[in-house]
Amino acid sequence: MAQNVFDRRRTNGPEESTPFIYEEDISNPVRPQETCRKGRKPADIRPIFLQPGLINQAAGSAYIEMDRTKIACAIYGPRQSKNVAFHEKGRLNVEVKFAPYSCLTRRAPMRDAEDRSVAMALHQALLASVRLESFPKATIDIFITVIETDGMEGCVAAGSIAASTALAHAGIEVLGLVMSCSAAAMGSEVWLDPTDEESRLSNGTLVLSCMPALTTVTSVWQTGRMAPNQALSCMVASQNRCDDIHTIVAQALLLDNSKSNQENL
Amino acid sequence: MSSSTTSILPSLSPPQPPQTQHLEHLSQEEQDKLKASVFQRLHPKLYLEKYLEEEVRPDGRELGGWRGVFLNVGSISTAEGSALVRMGDTTVVCGVKAEIAEPELDREGEGFLVPNLDLPAMCSPKFKPGPPSEEAQVLSERLNQALLTSNVLPLSSLCIESGKAVWVLYMDATCINYDGNAFDATLLAMVAALRNTTLPQAKHDSETHQTLCSRSKPRVPLQLANSVPIATSFGIFDSKYVLADPTAFEEPLLDASISVVLGDGGEIISLEQLGSVLVEDVQDGNGEWVKRDVLKECIEAARARRDVLVKEVLNGK
Repeated sequence: MAQNVFDRRRTNGPEESTPFIYEEDISNPVRPQETCRKGRKPADIRPIFLQPGLINQAAGSAYIEMDRTKIACAIYGPRQSKNVAFHEKGRLNVEVKFAPYSCLTRRAPMRDAEDRSVAMALHQALLASVRLESFPKATIDIFITVIETDGMEGCVAAGSIAASTALAHAGIEVLGLVMSCSAAAMGSEVWLDPTDEESRLSNGTLVLSCMPALTTVTSVWQTGRMAPNQALSCMVASQNRCDDIHTIVAQALLLDNSKSNQENL
Repeated sequence: MSSSTTSILPSLSPPQPPQTQHLEHLSQEEQDKLKASVFQRLHPKLYLEKYLEEEVRPDGRELGGWRGVFLNVGSISTAEGSALVRMGDTTVVCGVKAEIAEPELDREGEGFLVPNLDLPAMCSPKFKPGPPSEEAQVLSERLNQALLTSNVLPLSSLCIESGKAVWVLYMDATCINYDGNAFDATLLAMVAALRNTTLPQAKHDSETHQTLCSRSKPRVPLQLANSVPIATSFGIFDSKYVLADPTAFEEPLLDASISVVLGDGGEIISLEQLGSVLVEDVQDGNGEWVKRDVLKECIEAARARRDVLVKEVLNGK
């Protein structure tokens, strides 16, 4: 990838370098569909590993792993808003950073707007759950680093779960935990939690974020082509799965809480 | 915080933390803990001094004690090689991505090694989001120097076709949790990631000017030199105490620091000393403090530490 701007603040490589190409891929660019799902049923999601509190410098943090998707999230604040006009409500600031090695082709720093669009999606998903009126003039910073990703939809979903867990871990007042699940319309079927390859092969994808405790949807992000009833069935399937994820998150938080209580005694 | 906090605190007479009024609902132990953490924030230097006088550090280590190191390699499948290092609570992930480029005109047969360390706002409250902080820039440059001068990976081994195509290895390290001494942790992560890296077999076609890799042929590991650079850092506090492997709490309080990078057989690859490393520890007959240079002792300690790290951490994998 061309290094357009010579950046003095980083160690620079050659002016121009390109990702390597396999000769097999030139003659046969579309890889067979058999690699999809890997034994998963349409309604199965990838197994979740969730650990609150790995970053001890932060007010709250969480690390989530869903198969190959790996995301770390840290919460700082509520802390004083700087350079912002007075506002009665607090602010929620979400920043997403993709590690350069997180994708198949190297993601050079400061090259595209994908991290900002993921940050927007996460902001939307979380905004409705946080009681911003309880900390006027302050900001909560949610910093997310994507260590490895396998599908943008799964990244948004896992990011929302991690961020909401980290908010709870930081002891910030929320109306409910935000859970999120992605779905892809594969012909007439609905495949939950699609990988990168599966979402590229699908007609359209949808990420649903909701608070299962309040049965409220906080955000829906749909792309691609989908009939209205298909979008609805994607939402229903995702929402059902969010209830299951909610139990996992609640368990992880409870376990972490009882552990830290034990350490304090 | 360790439980030893309470045992040291009662002996303090100077600045008592301001009494908070609503502590009645807490148990005595919780109140003591709260007072200790307030004291730590208001008078960090005095807080550390009180510990060091008792020959122990706030995290329970001896003055020359090291934090436990944990290494995990190859967990990131999108990278050609990767490693995660935890040094105490400091966590660094390093991923190696390979790309292909034309070599420099004056170095036709040499590839590129591009190490960068990112200290994102996520890892500590002292970093802000945005372009690399000064600390990240300085550390990246030192890592670059250490890797290049140690010649751990001969750049000529990255050549695909002289003058036409060479490999570029982007080594990006991200700090996930910053608890001091990021340099040692990152260099270890980078070396481990290099050892984990495999490249596909590539061929340059002189007619089409294309470089293509083969999926069917097995990937090959890098031709690394036997000697791996390992960094060990020390800090001097109050011209009295030498602290090995300082934490994020201790780092800003230090008045000098020493970083030693050693290769195989204990040869020094890089040595950095910031500030005076004269330590006053013995009183002569007149009761005057005699100053002693600790640089040599630090290098010796670094040699011993390097042997342990290579044997137990790097080669344990």
